[in-house]
Order: sequence, then structure tokens, then C-alpha cells
Amino acid sequence: MPLPFQRILLTFFFSGVIGFSEVVDQQAWEKKVPENRADLAAIQARLQELIPVTQKALVSIEANDGAGSGVIVSPDGLILSAAHVIGRTGVNMEVRLLDGRRTNAVSLGGSEISDAGMLQIKEPGPWPYVKIPKLHSSKVGDWCFGLGHPGGFDIERGLVVRIGRIIEKKDETMQTDSRLLGGDSGGPLFNFEGKVIAIHSRISNEPDQNFHVPIESFQENWEFFREQDLLTFENIEQGGFLGIACEESDQGLVIQSVIPGTAAEKAGFQENDIILKIDDEVIRNREKLTIFISGKEPEDEIKIEYQRQMSTATLKLKLGSRFE
Amino acid sequence: MHFNLIHIALLFFVTWNTPAFCEDQSQTNSLEPAFRLNGIKTQDAFGPGKSKALLSTVRLMRNNKLIALGTLINADGYIITKASSCVGAREATMHNGESFPLKIRKRFEEIDLALYQLISQQVEFDCVEWEEGNQTSPASWVFSPYLGLQEIRIGITSGNPRTIGREGGVMGVMLGRDGKENGGIEINEVVPQAAADRAGLLAQDLILSVDGRRVLRKNQVIQIVSSKDPGDMITLEILRNNKKKQLKVTLGHNSVTFELFNRNLQMSGPVSKRKDNFPLILQHDLPLPKEGMGGPLFNLKGKCIGINIARVDRVSTFALPAETIKPYLKKWLPTLDKTLSKGIP
Repeated sequence: MPLPFQRILLTFFFSGVIGFSEVVDQQAWEKKVPENRADLAAIQARLQELIPVTQKALVSIEANDGAGSGVIVSPDGLILSAAHVIGRTGVNMEVRLLDGRRTNAVSLGGSEISDAGMLQIKEPGPWPYVKIPKLHSSKVGDWCFGLGHPGGFDIERGLVVRIGRIIEKKDETMQTDSRLLGGDSGGPLFNFEGKVIAIHSRISNEPDQNFHVPIESFQENWEFFREQDLLTFENIEQGGFLGIACEESDQGLVIQSVIPGTAAEKAGFQENDIILKIDDEVIRNREKLTIFISGKEPEDEIKIEYQRQMSTATLKLKLGSRFE
Repeated sequence: MHFNLIHIALLFFVTWNTPAFCEDQSQTNSLEPAFRLNGIKTQDAFGPGKSKALLSTVRLMRNNKLIALGTLINADGYIITKASSCVGAREATMHNGESFPLKIRKRFEEIDLALYQLISQQVEFDCVEWEEGNQTSPASWVFSPYLGLQEIRIGITSGNPRTIGREGGVMGVMLGRDGKENGGIEINEVVPQAAADRAGLLAQDLILSVDGRRVLRKNQVIQIVSSKDPGDMITLEILRNNKKKQLKVTLGHNSVTFELFNRNLQMSGPVSKRKDNFPLILQHDLPLPKEGMGGPLFNLKGKCIGINIARVDRVSTFALPAETIKPYLKKWLPTLDKTLSKGIP
């Protein structure tokens, strides 16, 4: 009787040992929480190592009626920033690097849904730049640090760095406790590999309420943003309308609800249907779906490939308008 | 013996792997408060430095309301704090709730620091250990006790250590154009609750002279006013409904007066009144309200590297570095030499 009991314990014991050795190999910033001062010191050392590299790509943007921030992500000077910093496409703006160098840039596209925006430096470069990680590489709990120009460019003050962790990542928004202030808008949030994982967007009153555009918004809509299109809420109102609320998943966009009287309901879509492709293009990002649908006119016909339970099907439907 | 060992291993397994399992399940939810930058678990990683910090800080009270924190600097119960925040402080409360009456010893106006003593029969108070030298590098961990002295707040240093220039006093008015024709400078707007408002100035009043000096241009008014300090009084001669009138205005602080017009300050919540005119400051990003000023700032080793002296905005707090404070204390508190040298191996 006691023998099998002991054997079970032994099995647990060994798996426990394996689990433990994995913990030892972890970097301090990969742990669920820093456990002691050594962990904190390792996080600090890593941060201090990443700042000199990442800060070179930070820019301050003299926008319409204020100042914002941005980050260069290619040697030819493509800048990621916020939609509310660029305002609209085709506007000339002056950007300033941390070393004081000034140059001219022109605003490209973006989206008011996520608040993503892009600019292009006019001079060919090469410019100092930072890298973008693989799609969906950041997750809740990851350590991060934000750079930017809170309150505007200030050469005497120098660089302002704020450390924090990802608190929430949902749809078109990332929340962290890396604190922001006006002027930071458009500035970069980095992971502990020195890659850009988000762009600063907005805040609420509590210190933990700092909101950023996840890099995925740029990655999923790169071509659209770069080809000088800015999706505004006005575009969304005037463009085609499908009539579904959906959520992102690994399989595709899962329909959460179908609005009565809309094109989607008329076509027979149901809750939990998964949208796979529209006009033969794979769409897994909510913002991309809105950009795609708003780019069409009411009455335009689209082809949707979707999955219901275990079977897939394709149907054609005519888009409606938001005011029907 | 053998069985015991296995039993411990099992316990280990349960305590180590259960949280890991929960973590996987909560991936799509938000990060629990305890694990955030200022969460209780992150605070605990600072180890004994955290509890020592809480023991060497006091809450300064006026009419049972917290007005500032104070930093215990020696065993005799001497504390330093932000002078402009603690006017009228009579009592200090410790981490364990114990209270002591306070006596002011000295004010160092230039650096906005005040020296108090706790009145007590108690032989020895806990006090901070000072760090030696200005050696804090950018992006280093720092922490300070939080208001209730039960928790700390965590952040990093950032920005260059630097001098903060003086900001003059303000009346809180928007001035119209230079007034050669109508014989005075017109007030276009009065900021509600600001110095001018309290003194009874109204929009459309014409300013004729300031402190007896006739003014013809807007810049003359600005020059005289900004050469004074917040708290100073000026005398205005004004013309209202064709009648001359004299008014006395006690000047306010620039940062507080124009708060209404500054979106960044609105989003920041209340900031310190005096956040200017410091010979040297360290900047950090601890989320402390303005009542949290006057307390100590510690590094990862748990050594005191400065005193929080001004809440500037949502992302910036200024601290006076230890090396800036020490000469003042040495002059006025010879016995402090003993405590100041504490921490040197």
C-alpha cells in the first residue's frame, strides 16, 4: 500500500527537479516577479545596456500644435508614431534626434482606431534605427521601457526613461505601468531585447493607466499605413458596413455578435462563426478588417470565407451602410 | 529520513508549479496588481532595504492631515523634510503608528529643506544610511516609502542631474496690449482662484503702477512681478470705472497658477508648489503625490541617495542629492558627523 504512494511522489519529485532547473536558466526579467535584489540588479543592468542603443532611434516631432515623439525603424528613415501626432497624411514636419540633429519628414498613413501613424524622413540616411520583433511576441507581464519627450524636447534634461510591465494586451490597445505624459505620444515602448513592441498613445488618471498602440497594428497594416492612407473615424462612418463584432483568435476572427438588420445578418452569419479570408486575403486582425471594409463603398460586393463548427464555406454579400 | 526528503520535494513542487500553471491560464487577462512595477511582490524583492526605509521615515501631520514625509537622519530623532510643504507641522507619526511632538530647528530656504526634532525620551531612533558620493547612474532602481509607511514606491532615475533655475512669482492675469493710449495696461483675463483673483482684481482693470513705479508696457509689469518670489506682496495702482484704486497682491507660484491651462498638469494631479530654484537635482519617476515629498530616496542597496523635494508632473519627481544636503547638515548639527559617516566600510 505505501509503495505505489511513494512512487507517485517520486514521479512528482523528478518533474519538480526539471521544473526547477528551468527556473534557474531564466533571465531575471523573464520571471513572474523579481525575487531578490540580484534579480533587480540584473534587470537594471539589462536596461542600462539597452538604452544607449535604443535612444539613437528616438525622435521628437514638431507637429501641428504641439510636440510628439516617434521612433525610426529602418535605415532609410521610416518613423513609427501616433495618428494623433501626424494628424493627416502628406504634412511636412520637423523631426529632431536626441543628439540635436534636425531633419524634415512627411506624414504617411495610420489608423485612428489604434492611433498608429507613420512618417518618412526625406533625407536618404542611413539613419539609426531599431528593430521590430516577430508578430505576437509580447505578452502580459513582460518587462518593458518607454522612451519619449514628456512635455517636449529638453536638451538639458536629456532622455527620460520609464520602466514597467505589460498589464493588459487586448485588441488594438496595450496597457502598461510605464508612465507617460503629453509629448510622449508616438514614442516607443521597448521589450528587454531592445525591440519596439508598442507606440505611446494616451493616458488616464491612475499611474497604471498608460495606453500604447501594439506593434501588431503596424505589422498587420504595414502596406496600408505606408502607402499614405490614414483611416479616420469619418472614413469608417462613410465606408461600407458589415455589421459584426469580433475577437481575434489563432484560427481567425471569431464573431461575437451580429447586429440585426445589417449585411452580415442578411447573409446569415452567426455568433462563433470564424472569418478566415475576405476576397481571398487572410484577415486575422480586427483593425485590418475595419480598414478593408471601410475602404469599400456601401453596395460593394465582397467574398467571405468562413468556418462554422468543423466546416468551411464561402459566400458573397453586398455591404450596407452604417446609417441604414 | 528518505520519506521526509520526498515530502519536502512534493511541497516544493506544489508551491513552485501551481503559480506557473495559473500564469498560463491568465495570459489573456490583466497582470495582477501584486506583480506590477509597484506591486507588493516587486516591493518585496528589495528585501531588508524596504523595511529599513519604512522605519527611517515619518509622517508629518497638521490638524490630523498628512502634509509631508520626513527623513530620520540620526538616532536623536532629527528629521529633514521639504520646508515649503511642512509649514505648521506639529506632530510626526511613525511606521508603527506612534506619534511624537515636533520642534523646528532650522530652515534652509535655498534648498527648501527644514530640520526638525522629534521630542521623545526614547533613546535611539532608526535613521537612514547615506550613500557616499554622487554616483547614481541613469536608469538605476530607486525607491521611497509611500504615504502610509507600509509600502514603498519603485521607479528609476532618469534625465540628467542638473540645476533647476528660479521661477518668479505670478499674479495670475492675462495682460492686454501695451497701454500708451488708454493710460494703463488692461487686464484681459483673471485666472480663477489665483493671486490676482484673491486680491480682487477684475478683467478690464487698467494697471497704472506696480510698487509705485509707473508702467506703460506689458513687459515692465512682467519684469517687476517675476523679479519677486512667490509669497511676496506687491502694490498695484489700478483704474476701474475711471476711479483710481490701490490693491495688494500676494504673488503665487507659476506652476500652480496656470495649472488650469496646462493639459499635462491636469493629467498629473496636484504638483508641489515649489519645484524650482535648486542647485542640483536627481530626476526619477516614482508615483508619489505631493504629500509624499520630504521623504528619503534609496538606491537598490538601501542607501539614502537624496530627499524627494518636488513633484513636478506625472512622470517626474526631483530629489535633492545627499551630497548637496550634507554640507548644510554638518554646519548645523555637529553630532551628525557620526551618522553621516555611517555606511563607510
